[in-house]
Amino acid sequence: MASGGANGGPQYNPANVSGTGGAGQSGNYTGFAYGENSALNNSRVAGNAAVASVAATGGTSSNPAPYGDNNMPPLGTLLDPTTKPSEPISAGVDFGRGPGSEVLPKGFQNNTRIDENAKVALQYLPDLAIAARSADAPDSFKRFVNYLIDNSQGVNPNG
Amino acid sequence: MADVKWMPGSIFDNIDKFANSLGYQNAAVAIELAMMPWKSPEERDAFIAGITGDDVKGGTEKNYIKQNF
Repeated sequence: MASGGANGGPQYNPANVSGTGGAGQSGNYTGFAYGENSALNNSRVAGNAAVASVAATGGTSSNPAPYGDNNMPPLGTLLDPTTKPSEPISAGVDFGRGPGSEVLPKGFQNNTRIDENAKVALQYLPDLAIAARSADAPDSFKRFVNYLIDNSQGVNPNG
Repeated sequence: MADVKWMPGSIFDNIDKFANSLGYQNAAVAIELAMMPWKSPEERDAFIAGITGDDVKGGTEKNYIKQNF
């Protein structure tokens, strides 16, 4: 039998990627800034010890599924019936019924619509402009395309 | 894209309805919603009416009368 050649082992599978970003042998974090690798590794060791101590006392024995005992409903789709029938579907956004974005937590209040609109304008404007020149394009559509044209001026296509 | 057919439920019709109903400042959201696979213009319009609490805005049916009619 020949030796030294490829044997088709898991090291030849490109999908086998180490979750730690390194060679995957030690489980230690690598590749972070100087001093951060050891801090992360120490944190990992402490965390593993804490989890092991909880497991040893039977803390998770009655519920083996992680996060299995939370009360979060399963995620639905956009068109599913509402799970909060007393709250307007547009609560938290600045159109429609209900309170606007002022009721959202602070972290959700960044207005990124200007940037998003500019990117969308750059991406779709060529096709939208052609459609707007169609003989039967509604005036409302033409106004919208003109709005995108006005808001796409001077936008960096690379974001 | 030589000849755009302006039909109810087409992508451009969807964009027209969502952009004018939600407001131009919500253009990105409007275009994303317009690209969803709506089963019919009626379902789309019911969704718009549901989230805006208002009538659907945008081009009217007269815009769909094509040439040769």
